[in-house]
Amino acid sequence: MCYRNLTQEEIQQLQKNQCWSKNWSGIKVKDGFNPARLYNVELYGEVKLGIFDHELSINGVMKDTCIKNSSISNCIIGDNVYINRVADLSNYVVGNASILENIGSIHVTERNSFGNGIEIEVLNEGGGRELPIFEELNAQIAYMLVNYQHDHSFINNLKEMIKKLVKEKKSEIGRIGKQVCIQQVKRIENVNIGDFARIIATDILCNGTIVSNIESHAEVINARMLKNFILQEGSRVENDAQVENCFIGQCVTIGKQYSAENSAFFANSECFHGEACSLLAGPYTVTHHKSSLLIAGLFSFYNAGSGTNQSNHMYKLGPLHQGILERGCKTGSFSYLLWPSRVGAFSAVMGKHYSHFDVSDFPFSYIEEQDGESMLTPAMNLITVGTLRDSQKWPRRDKRKGTVIRDLINFDLFSPFVISKILRAQEKLETLYENANKKVEVLNMEGIKIKRLLLRTAKKYYKIPINIFLGEQLIRYIEKNELRDKADFYKIAFNSKMSVHEKWVDMIGMFAPFREIENLIKAVNHGDLKDLDSITSELENIHQHYDQFSWQWTVNLLEKQLGKSASQFDNEDMKYIIEEWKNDQIKLNNMILRDADKEFDENATKAYGIDGDDEIRQKDFESVRGTKNSNSFIKGLLENSRKTEEKAERMQAFFL
Amino acid sequence: MSNDNVKERVKKVISEVLKMNIDEIGDDANFIFDLGADSAQSLELIAGFEEEFDIEMDEDKALEIQSVSDAADFISTYL
Repeated sequence: MCYRNLTQEEIQQLQKNQCWSKNWSGIKVKDGFNPARLYNVELYGEVKLGIFDHELSINGVMKDTCIKNSSISNCIIGDNVYINRVADLSNYVVGNASILENIGSIHVTERNSFGNGIEIEVLNEGGGRELPIFEELNAQIAYMLVNYQHDHSFINNLKEMIKKLVKEKKSEIGRIGKQVCIQQVKRIENVNIGDFARIIATDILCNGTIVSNIESHAEVINARMLKNFILQEGSRVENDAQVENCFIGQCVTIGKQYSAENSAFFANSECFHGEACSLLAGPYTVTHHKSSLLIAGLFSFYNAGSGTNQSNHMYKLGPLHQGILERGCKTGSFSYLLWPSRVGAFSAVMGKHYSHFDVSDFPFSYIEEQDGESMLTPAMNLITVGTLRDSQKWPRRDKRKGTVIRDLINFDLFSPFVISKILRAQEKLETLYENANKKVEVLNMEGIKIKRLLLRTAKKYYKIPINIFLGEQLIRYIEKNELRDKADFYKIAFNSKMSVHEKWVDMIGMFAPFREIENLIKAVNHGDLKDLDSITSELENIHQHYDQFSWQWTVNLLEKQLGKSASQFDNEDMKYIIEEWKNDQIKLNNMILRDADKEFDENATKAYGIDGDDEIRQKDFESVRGTKNSNSFIKGLLENSRKTEEKAERMQAFFL
Repeated sequence: MSNDNVKERVKKVISEVLKMNIDEIGDDANFIFDLGADSAQSLELIAGFEEEFDIEMDEDKALEIQSVSDAADFISTYL
């Protein structure tokens, strides 16, 4: 871009407009510069100014673009900006058509990395799992950085790559992108601000980067303070929130006085009112209520009830404990967990728990407090409305848009990760049942208690997701490969397989065979993957092949279930799998429908019809909540059962 | 086995699971509304019936059981 010196006439015009510079030769302008659009401006050092020949909408009023009542030092100012009452704008490049108004100070103090490379103490408050944050970070890289500390070589390699990236981002000059709007802000220091970002009525932003673009704007509105942070596309920090040493991923909302420190939040998380400390909060971590303290935990697809509380130490050697709630967990109102503990996927925690348990092999469980002790009811949460409703709503609530989607997210309710845990749960339940004294009512297991009566029943209930998973995988394989007939199917379906004992991991959102992640780690350690882009590409590649890996794993599970090798599978076997899928899918739907019945039974109507009799109560309830028959979730379940029947028929015909 | 006999054994299971006096359990008592069973206890009751009668009930249909009479009638179909 060509800039020229000011002409003498332009300098005179500027001086007439109360503008001042100690050295006018340091001020360069583009051809077409209009000095009439600067009024009462102090210019220091080297300043480059663009063209002012348009209007911009300022709070709904069209105003001439201009600079007035401001002090500017060492900046490059783009075309058609509106800068008014900015007491100190120093060391920034300001993009075209940006609005800066009523700002105390916005400056870069020294060469810095704008929040990139800051290490935050996630998961373990006492440190040891420091996560270096940067603009391109995603949930999966964070997961590895935080959890694979045992592989020093890998972590060092990864951190070296991050250091290199951070070095490239270092500058003495900050960037305010194009069409940015910053109004009523006290102080912005060492912050890079991406295109289309909005920062309104906020006290302090310090040492950070706001990643924003035309497709997905980031916003900081009425926030109290952001310090040492990265804020990614589509995210909002608002309404008196305070954020310090935090990474805020895509389309995360933090607001309503929420206070967060040393925490990383990934896609679509929502945090209001409460407090976060040292969290690795995977995608869809949601905490909406006051008095909820989430601390030193790893979560994803998590919903914290009001007053949820966790402790990360026992007042011994300090805050060294940590906890894991695998994906899809809920903690009930005023629930408490004493870390360390680990809870299986899609489980519900109710009450207060002072024992340390590891029930990660028991997904879909209820963990309740009974007489001061922690009690496990395996498979109970499988047949509740909430689990299915949640699994349906997550994909619908993915707010991320645009070409850059960072976190890799798989929404499957039944996956090899969860099913392999269920298989282990079944074995454990069987062993416990066989060894249990029939006269004993309650057994101890892995730090938690379980009712002996439930051992056999829970094992039976766990068969349902296994059958549904097998059928889903078979049908998905046929449909995704667009197989026309069974000959096509047998030609390719069983050519490769993976042991059912092979471990799967859930990297806060992304399922992967652990072997693939180990290979990635080896590739990093051998120098085959040399930078973060290539690691991200490899993760994306693994994510894209989920269906293939999952099918390979399923083939071995089918062998176990059918008691024969894949080469011996025939049409009857496949029809059996489809029949079992159909029966158990409909059975599960019916069980969930029974749970949904409770939403319409007499207990549910108790606070309705305030001044009326039973009839009024029922009418009031129905006018507010609707009837069972009109409920969209229930209608959806019934429709799903109907479609399951139809699909089963089509699939049975495929194998005729 | 007579239906009365089945009912008595059903009540025995209920009294053990819900920790209540067997005499407090009426034939038409609803597990949830009258006896105060929660969701997990409903599952426990099913498990208790299965063990008491050495049967394996259909998971879906078993959840339809709401009262002592329901349970006795349903269990009788397996005996």
